[in-house]
Amino acid sequence: MFSAIGRIFRTPDLRRKIGFTLGIVAIFRLGSFIPAPFVDFGNVQACLKLNQSTSGLYELVNLFSGGALLQLSIFALGIMPYITASIITQLLRVVIPHFETLHKEGQAGQGRLTQYTRYLTIALAVLQSTTLITVARSGLLFGTNTSTECANLLTDNSWYAILLMVITMTAGTGLIMWMGELITERGVGNGMSLLIFTSISAQFPGSLGAIQQAKGWNVFFLVIAVGIVIIGLVVFVEQSQRRIPVQYAKRVVGRRTYGGNNTYIPIKVNMAGVVPVIFASSLLYLPALIAQFNQPKPGEDAAPWVTWISNYLTQGDQPLYMLFYFLLIVGFTFFYVAITFNPEEVAENMKKYGGFIPGIRAGRPTAEYLDYVLTRITFPGSLYLGFVALIPLLALAIVQANQNFPFGGASILIIVGVGLETVKQIDAQLQQRHYEGLLK
Amino acid sequence: MEILQVILQIVLGITSLLLTMLILLHKGRGGGLSDMFGGGMTSSLGSSGVAERNLNRITVILGLVWFVVIVVLGVITKFDTGL
Repeated sequence: MFSAIGRIFRTPDLRRKIGFTLGIVAIFRLGSFIPAPFVDFGNVQACLKLNQSTSGLYELVNLFSGGALLQLSIFALGIMPYITASIITQLLRVVIPHFETLHKEGQAGQGRLTQYTRYLTIALAVLQSTTLITVARSGLLFGTNTSTECANLLTDNSWYAILLMVITMTAGTGLIMWMGELITERGVGNGMSLLIFTSISAQFPGSLGAIQQAKGWNVFFLVIAVGIVIIGLVVFVEQSQRRIPVQYAKRVVGRRTYGGNNTYIPIKVNMAGVVPVIFASSLLYLPALIAQFNQPKPGEDAAPWVTWISNYLTQGDQPLYMLFYFLLIVGFTFFYVAITFNPEEVAENMKKYGGFIPGIRAGRPTAEYLDYVLTRITFPGSLYLGFVALIPLLALAIVQANQNFPFGGASILIIVGVGLETVKQIDAQLQQRHYEGLLK
Repeated sequence: MEILQVILQIVLGITSLLLTMLILLHKGRGGGLSDMFGGGMTSSLGSSGVAERNLNRITVILGLVWFVVIVVLGVITKFDTGL
């Protein structure tokens, strides 16, 4: 194991790639701490201290930006606009036929789709930064806390200052996107996911420290032990897959022989990854947002439905909220798997190249069989996703831990997923030069 | 100080806009979501050509200028409010 790590650094090519990746990650983190122009750094810091545990509204977004959002830094939006844009373009494939044809076109079409995603990212960045800055200007960024620090987050409230901040944050988002692409191109692993990974793991020491301070060392070690067990389980489930055997018929074209080999279609238990969790959280965030907009004026009573929403649908420790969250995740898992894996397409492709599943006729029966297996395996997968996402909420209810409980939900899924992927890529690079890789 | 601040703000606005444009000019790498959260293998495309390399260089320089301007502006504001 350690000799393998040593070998990584003795391979010049790999060493350069890892160095490049680490350098970009360092720049990314550095930028997350530099406040945007016209932001009153002192006030923001003081206000952050006052509001350690509140503001569940921006929790997910803040998580993805590594805490940069609430600091109003130049990289405040982080990678979130790009994620949203990717999700939108992927979903639009179902709606707009043009996107679907582009997707099927292969390399060139994919390039066009990526380009659309990039434009959409910038548009979303403009939108989100405007929202963020307007909220910060009105002093409501930290909920309804009305101390003088929180009300004066900006040093300049004039229109050109706002405009300049919007432009700066948009440029920052663009820069992050480009840095992610640079990592994908010249570094190790997928840049975008590595940057998300960095943001999330940057939150770990802080939230662990908060647990230690609030609960003492015993709970702290208990949390770490539970965390390690959870990580182990998540790795186990992420790696598990069902292999459907596929036999290719031997074909002779001219003097060459093609095919005749056995392969398999891997169907993972969790085909959907973290995307359903992200969908569910953002959808559940809508009622809270609506309630926020319908806050009563001082002296007036809130409308009954507003009170109901803020009682049952904004706090994570409410059973009703948990139930909704769980059901939404299960539903979205099936939805997303249906979008990403198309049994008919796979069956069609297999038929084209003379492949078949032993015991099942090519064409429609194959598609039906694939669909059957996929649905059956996605069911436990969706339950698993729901439970993993519920871990932080349960922790909140049981030990009254901070809502930013680090081991669970979207963060653990992303960390494990990206970690596995990156290690596999490094391993593949190593095996190009030595027989023994990083993984035994 | 006033004048310097105004100049820096104008420079910041221009560099931000240019930076956004330049980044949009780059050819996008990596393909969307399924790639992002543990999807298939990413095929690394080979060389990027002279135009792309020059674009990279310009973007890096512009990014540095952008960064320095923001830091200097921040320092000036800090002294202004501090004193």
